[in-house]
Amino acid sequence: MNLPRYELKAEKSLTVFEFTSEGPKGQIPKIVKFSETTLKGFYNLAFGDKNLESGEIDDTIVSNNGDSEQILATVVSAVYSFTESESEAWVYATGSTNSRTRLYRMGITKYLDEITQDFLVFGLRDNEWEEFKKEIEYTAFLVKRK
Amino acid sequence: MKTIKELNDKKIPIVRIDNSLEKYKAMPIFQDKVDKANETLRTIGLPKIPAKSQ
Repeated sequence: MNLPRYELKAEKSLTVFEFTSEGPKGQIPKIVKFSETTLKGFYNLAFGDKNLESGEIDDTIVSNNGDSEQILATVVSAVYSFTESESEAWVYATGSTNSRTRLYRMGITKYLDEITQDFLVFGLRDNEWEEFKKEIEYTAFLVKRK
Repeated sequence: MKTIKELNDKKIPIVRIDNSLEKYKAMPIFQDKVDKANETLRTIGLPKIPAKSQ
């Protein structure tokens, strides 16, 4: 999957990443964080805009910088980087809104053949995990390196 | 030594280390998402890994 993506920087444990979205709305810094949950080895993936004045992170804001595919490709590369060091980790993700979850599903669908070369990919439907299939509306996603 | 093209084609990105990001490790950012993930784990658990992938 050789898609345009932004350059990443991270702290040394590779659980917090930052990149800068560039587009008509200017430069928007974004933070990606892998947070371990109550289950060791199970991480939540989330990302959002960094407010340069307050330093706070907002994952509900709609930046509309015209680069959603490049942003998703960059987040995927962060997942590759994180799971390179945490090879047994499960990575869970869902959108802060239904439309964002749908956007992530569309991104996974589009590159499913490439992603499944390296990852097991599951979707959450009717309170059950199943192997990700195209054209199914999932409410959350779970991946693990093969 | 890899060429620039080979480096850019890698799935695993080249990541620059920035120690200023350390502060976000302890910060409870995206806490509502983490809470939701915990709830999903508690009620649904993990998927079964397909036999052919083990």
